[in-house]
Amino acid sequence: MRPSVLVVGEAVHGQLSGPSREALNVARSLAGSEGRVTGLLIGHGLAAASAEMATLGTDRVRVVEDAALTSATCSTLAAIVRAEVEGAQVSVVLLTGSVRYRELAGRLAARWDASVATGATELSPTEGGGLRVARPVFGGRATEELDLGGPRCVVALRPHAFPPASTTAPAAPVERRASPPFPTGNAPAPKVSALESTEVTGGPSLGDATIVVSGGRGLRAPENFRLVEELAASLGAAVGASRAVTDAGWRPGSYQVGQTGRSVAPQLYVAVGISGAIQHVVGMVSSRVIVAINSDAQAPIFRVADYGIVGDLFAIVPALTKEIRKVRGLS
Amino acid sequence: MEIVVLVKPVPDAESRLRPNAGGTELDGEGIKWVLSGYDESAVEQALLLKAAVPGSSVRCISFGPAPRTEEVLRASVALGCDRATWVERPVGMPADPLLCARVLREALRKYPHDLILAGKQAGDDEEGIVPSALAELLGVESFGSVVDLRWHAEEKRFRFQCVLDSGSEKVEAAGPLLIGLQQAWNDPRTATLPNILRSRKATIDRLPWSDVAPLLGAFSAGRTTSQRFRLPPPRTGARLIDYQSPEEAAEKLVKILREEAKVFP
Ligand SMILES: Cc1cc2nc3c(=O)[nH]c(=O)nc-3n(C[C@H](O)[C@H](O)[C@H](O)COP(=O)(O)OP(=O)(O)OC[C@H]3O[C@@H](n4cnc5c(N)ncnc54)[C@H](O)[C@@H]3O)c2cc1C
Ligand SMILES: Nc1ncnc2c1ncn2[C@@H]1O[C@H](COP(=O)(O)O)[C@@H](O)[C@H]1O
Repeated sequence: MRPSVLVVGEAVHGQLSGPSREALNVARSLAGSEGRVTGLLIGHGLAAASAEMATLGTDRVRVVEDAALTSATCSTLAAIVRAEVEGAQVSVVLLTGSVRYRELAGRLAARWDASVATGATELSPTEGGGLRVARPVFGGRATEELDLGGPRCVVALRPHAFPPASTTAPAAPVERRASPPFPTGNAPAPKVSALESTEVTGGPSLGDATIVVSGGRGLRAPENFRLVEELAASLGAAVGASRAVTDAGWRPGSYQVGQTGRSVAPQLYVAVGISGAIQHVVGMVSSRVIVAINSDAQAPIFRVADYGIVGDLFAIVPALTKEIRKVRGLS
Repeated sequence: MEIVVLVKPVPDAESRLRPNAGGTELDGEGIKWVLSGYDESAVEQALLLKAAVPGSSVRCISFGPAPRTEEVLRASVALGCDRATWVERPVGMPADPLLCARVLREALRKYPHDLILAGKQAGDDEEGIVPSALAELLGVESFGSVVDLRWHAEEKRFRFQCVLDSGSEKVEAAGPLLIGLQQAWNDPRTATLPNILRSRKATIDRLPWSDVAPLLGAFSAGRTTSQRFRLPPPRTGARLIDYQSPEEAAEKLVKILREEAKVFP
C-alpha cells in the first residue's frame, strides 16, 4: 500500500517557496499513483501559491486563509494541520524545513505519538509501511539513518536536498477551509508582529538559497564586504559571513554561518577570505559543491573545498564577478 | 521568576567521530563531551534574566547517561545556575526525541516554572524536536530560534525576537513559555575557577530511571526502531586552479562550475 501524504507548504511573499516544491516532489514519489497527495497552505494572500501547488503533482489542495494567520504561532499551525489530518487517511506528513515549520514536526509528533525526523536528505518507503530517512548530524560530520514506523510519520525535509516537483496537468481542485478556532492555551494570546525582512540585498535568504557566498576576515574592512555582496548578486546567491565578521560588527549576527550561527547546505558554497575553522566548517560542510578563495595555500578551508583558488581575493573576486555576469548575460 | 534550562551533553566540535562495528552508535572513545552550543546560549539567557529580575532562580535539567550528563550539569552550575536535576538514562539506551520530551515533562512536574529555555537544536542530532514536542505535552506556547529575550515587569510580558528564514518577528507573550535559543547576542560567559571548584561540590538532584520509567507506561522504550550512522566519504582536498592572471582563474572556475559541477547554467 502506498502512503497518503499531506504536504504542508509555505508561501513567501505570496509565492510558493522552493522547499515546498521540493516537498511536493518527494510526496509524489512516495505516494506513487495509488496514494493520495494533499497540499495544505496556511496563511494569508495564498491565491498564487495555491494555484501553483495545484499543478505540482497534488491530488487536491486545501487552503486555510485568514489575515490573522500571517503571524500564527506554532501551536495554532499545529491545530490547523491536525484538523486536516485527523479523520483523513494520512500516513505521512511532510513539512518544509523552514525554521517555523520544522518546529511543527515536534508538536504534531508529540500529539500523535508518531515517529518523527527533521532535516531529512534521503527518504524512501520501507516494506512495513514506514519510512527510511537519512539526515546529516553533527554539523554534517556524520549521517544518521532511521527507520520510522507507522501508522503515521512526520518528516521535515532539509531545504534543497531534493529536486523540485515539475508541473502536471490538469490542475488539482483547490478547496478553502474555514480556520478552526485558534487554541486559547495561554491567556492573553501572544502578540506576534509582522515579519521584518532582514534581506538587505533583496537576494534570497541564507536558509532558502541554492547558492551562498560568505566572506571572512580576509576582507580586512567592512567596506570591502561589498566585493562579496557583488559576487553574490551576480550568482543570485545569499550572503553569509564567518564569526570574525559578525563579531567585528561588519555584518549582523544573522549572517553568521557555523556552529553558533546558521547551518546551510546549498548546491554551491563560496568561501572568500575564510580560514576554515572547524566551527565555521560544521555549518557548511554539507553543501554539495564548495569553492574557496584564500591567499594562504595551507588554509584548512582547502581541505573541505572541492575547488580552490589560491590568491588575493581583492584581485580574484572582482574578476570572478565580472566573468559570471558575462556568462549569465548580465551587463 | 523560576527559570528552567534544558541542557544536553554533545561531542565537542573537534572530537573524532567513528561509528562502531554495526554502525549503530558513534564510538564513545576520545569524545570530549561539552554543553551543546545553543544550550550555552540558553544558560546565558537564563542568567541574564536572573540578574535582571530580582528573586529569580535557575534550574538546569538534563536527561542522559553517566558520566557526561552529570558533568555538563556541573558545568552549568559553574556558570551560575542555582540548581541542577539529572534524569538518569540507562547507558546504551537509544536517544529518542519524543521519549526525551516525555521524560522531561515528568521531571518538570516537580518544579514550578515560569519560563523554560532550551537550545534551538542540539549540536549532535540537530533534530530541534524536543522543545516543541515538550511544549505540546505541557500545553504551552513555544517559540524556536529566539534572540534577545527580555522581561517587562509592568506588563508581565516577555519580549523577544524570532529569527526566521527570511526575516525576524517581534513577539510579546506571557508565561509560561518554552523558548528555543538561537544564539546569545553577547558572547556567553565562561566559568571562573572558584565557581568551577564550587560546582564540583554542588548537590545534583537525581531522578533514577527506575522512578521515571513507570510514569511513561508504554513509551518507556521510545519509538526509534533502528538507528545507524555512517560517515561521509572523506573530502580529498580542493582541486586548485592554476592561472596566470585573475581573469584566467575566474574563467577556469566558472567553466568548471558550469560544465563539471553543474551548479549553474
Ligand atoms: C565556541 C566557538 C564557536 C564558534 N562559532 C563560529 C561560527 O558559528 N562561525 C564561524 O565562522 N566561526 C565560529 N567560531 C570562530 C572560529 O573559530 C574562527 O575564529 C572564525 O571562523 C574565523 O573567521 P575567518 O575565517 O573569517 O577569519 P580568520 O581565521 O582570521 O581567516 C581569515 C582568512 O583570510 C585569508 N586572507 C587574508 N587576506 C586575504 C586576501 N587578501 N585574499 C584572500 N584571502 C585572504 C587568510 O589567509 C585567512 O585564512 C567559533 C569559535 C568558538 C570558540
Ligand atoms: N536529553 C536532553 N536533556 C535535556 N534537554 C534536552 C535533551 N535533549 C534535547 N534537549 C533540549 O532540546 C534542545 C533541542 O534538542 P534536539 O531536539 O535534540 O535538537 C536542546 O538544545 C536542549 O535544550
